Amino acid sequence: MSGLGLVFSIAKDAVAAQRYGMDVAAHNIANVNTPGYSRQSPVCEAKDRFKYGGLILGRGVKTTHIARSCDQFIENQLMQQKSSFSCLEQMDNYMQVLEGLFNENSGNSISAMLADFWNLWHDIANNPAGASERIGLYEHSISMSEQFNALSADLSQLETDLSNAVSAAVDEINQITNEIGLINNEIVGMEAGKATANDLRDKRNTLVSELAEYIDVKTFEQSNGTLTVITARGCVLVHGNDSYDLELGGDNGDRVKWQGSGGATADITGYITSGKLDGWLNMRDEIIAKYKLDLDALAKEFIWTVNQQHSQGVGLEAFNTVTGTYAVSDNGEELGTVDSGLDYYNKISDGVFNIWIYDSSGAVIGGGPTVITVDSDSGGTSLTSIKDAIDAVDNISATITTGGRLKIDADNGYTFAFSGDTSNVLAALGINTFFTGATAGGIGVNSKIGSDNNFIGAAQIDDDGTFASGDNTNALAIADLQYTSMDIPQWTCDRINGCTEGNLTTTIEGYYHAMAGSIGIKAASISRSKAFNEVMVNKLSEIRDSISGVSLDEEMTNLIKFQHAYAAAAKLITVSDEMLNTLLSVK
Amino acid sequence: MRVANKTIYDIIKFNLGNITEELNRANKVVATGKRITELSDDPVGLTQALNIRSSLSNIEQLGRNISMGRSWLTASESALTQVQNQISDARALCVQMATATTGSAERASAAATVQNTLEEIVSLANTEVNGRYIFAGSKTDAAPFSRDNDTNVVTYNGDNKAFTMKIGRDATVEVGSDGEAVFGDIFTTLSDLKDALEADDVSGIQAAMSNLDTHFDRISTKISEIGSKMLRMETKEKIFQDLNITNTERLSKIEDADITEAIMDLKAKELAYKAALASSARVMQLSLVDYL
Repeated sequence: MSGLGLVFSIAKDAVAAQRYGMDVAAHNIANVNTPGYSRQSPVCEAKDRFKYGGLILGRGVKTTHIARSCDQFIENQLMQQKSSFSCLEQMDNYMQVLEGLFNENSGNSISAMLADFWNLWHDIANNPAGASERIGLYEHSISMSEQFNALSADLSQLETDLSNAVSAAVDEINQITNEIGLINNEIVGMEAGKATANDLRDKRNTLVSELAEYIDVKTFEQSNGTLTVITARGCVLVHGNDSYDLELGGDNGDRVKWQGSGGATADITGYITSGKLDGWLNMRDEIIAKYKLDLDALAKEFIWTVNQQHSQGVGLEAFNTVTGTYAVSDNGEELGTVDSGLDYYNKISDGVFNIWIYDSSGAVIGGGPTVITVDSDSGGTSLTSIKDAIDAVDNISATITTGGRLKIDADNGYTFAFSGDTSNVLAALGINTFFTGATAGGIGVNSKIGSDNNFIGAAQIDDDGTFASGDNTNALAIADLQYTSMDIPQWTCDRINGCTEGNLTTTIEGYYHAMAGSIGIKAASISRSKAFNEVMVNKLSEIRDSISGVSLDEEMTNLIKFQHAYAAAAKLITVSDEMLNTLLSVK
Repeated sequence: MRVANKTIYDIIKFNLGNITEELNRANKVVATGKRITELSDDPVGLTQALNIRSSLSNIEQLGRNISMGRSWLTASESALTQVQNQISDARALCVQMATATTGSAERASAAATVQNTLEEIVSLANTEVNGRYIFAGSKTDAAPFSRDNDTNVVTYNGDNKAFTMKIGRDATVEVGSDGEAVFGDIFTTLSDLKDALEADDVSGIQAAMSNLDTHFDRISTKISEIGSKMLRMETKEKIFQDLNITNTERLSKIEDADITEAIMDLKAKELAYKAALASSARVMQLSLVDYL
């Protein structure tokens, strides 16, 4: 086409192009605060020229497409950094809760209570027959045990909370992957021609970013425009418009599994490396698991150490009846083996212990103690054989309760007491012990002592079977335990390899202080990493926004630009209309 | 670099957030007076603080033990000193009564004096501190020495384990005594002396005299033993007092905040916050739209 028609055509195209420009600018302005939005700009091209009368003339402008300013590389970087940050943010939150549980500024902290516990044993050593000292020790030990119980329960609660969070996140992830699959489909449909589905791609990026906050992902764009999303262990989450779900499984329902097509599942719990799931799983399976095991190990060793010494002593009076606090699972199994079911089976060794029988005036019967032997030869000593040996002694009888505990009763008018246990079997069975239980959640004070504080064993029986109310030998020995270094297990936990047991040689208080210090160090280090990560996320955000973000100043300028161009293009129509009129009015 | 509007607001939000967090922390330090409020504030310092607190508690307890031990030792010392006096009086009496110039009437009255001395020493041997007998070995709830009125025989009812107390991590001290070892058969000697006086038995009196010497020496040795134990406990007490002060200082250095420093820090953070608020407000208001 040539002549005036050409001008009209050019003007029409120009007006349209400027109008598209204004539409795009308006769209940008409207979306200035939309998160994940990439600014768009119209790409105009001069139309193909044509030859006319020896001249090469242009035919105006056409808008080829709307371009999206987006650097996918930066987007991916930002997404990964945000993923790391989410992980650290969650860990930081939970570490603060954990720190709070071990708060050392209150008088109820476990370290203060441990120090007081040992002091109260000093007080008993200073006045073994004193009733107020005994009540003081008993009440304090109850409070301390309750503190251990509460701490253990709190740690368990944190684990439950984390598992719940993981469960909710898995549902969320499945929903997001589903949506990504749907959008993939839509994008393929919309981009059938040469156009790019700008807003849909923005939306897909936002969804992937949301997904990355939960779990670490890698993305690959296929040639048809769909995005393939891969997570830990190479498991595919989205491919084309298919999405693959995650689920919770495993023995305790706490392992994260990927469901492949055809029913196969893969356990990816140990391989997730960033995102909130990583943070929660780190907290649950590595950090809290470790401190829970450590606390239990500390309680177990503490209980044993005190019990072992306490079982060597005698209170202000001998026993009428006593029931062990630890149960066996099989009466006929050798006590020193794991099959016996005793919590402290590994502390039992070959040895002997003495039983002294007293008549109603307190005199020793039989001129000496009955010695009971524990040894691992000839089938070993089982609970039944101990019971039989004790039962055979005059004036006392022994039975095994239905719960698997040893019960010793003295005949009317007689009492009994123990001394010189080199086999540790009395402490392992819970006879004449101070504490009950073998974990932080189970520690308590022996109800025998609760029923009568006189049974707190501050004294020891002499070689002639007598014991005095002012004897403090056992109390001094127990007070000494404060300074004794012992081997206490210490754990390291790993999501892939599980928990491994190590060893720390220190005092009871030293172990607890080290545990509190280690929690502090971990919390501080996570806090620092989080702060550093946050700075990185901000920097990358800034870079990303400098490429894709909307600047209102720019858009305003563009608006003016398009407005003038529109006015000029409209003028073109007016002028060519006048020229045509001029032509038509020629006679 | 091109700066989108979003960047400006994001940066304002981030920086204001940071400053308020620091301001909050500085406020906490001033309000509690403690440098360490969370485990993560200074984990190494915290572990040290915990160890020091444990030491302090232990030192306080040992101090209490030492006080109680000293009261026992003081009571022992004073009782034994009086016993010593009684013995030397009895010995002087022996010297007097062994001379040929004394008559049976004087000897008879001397016998009554000796009987009094015997009963007095029994009473001293049954000294108690806060209801516990200090010369009874570990049977501290009952009087160790009982005298049969008819036969004048004194029996020992305690045992031979002296009462021990912990005054240090690896140190124990016997603060009570095995009454049998301390008093020996002094009562038999006095009883025999009384019988000898009543019977005008001069050789018996002289035998008693040399026995009394032995008893006197033994009690002197015991008193100086007690003296050196008391010295040892005094030294220990002084050491503990010094340790107490040192440890409390160390603990304070680790745990407590320097108030002046903390308040200066708070003021600085406050100033930074105000400045950030002012600058953010100015920047947020600028826009090209105002000029079009």
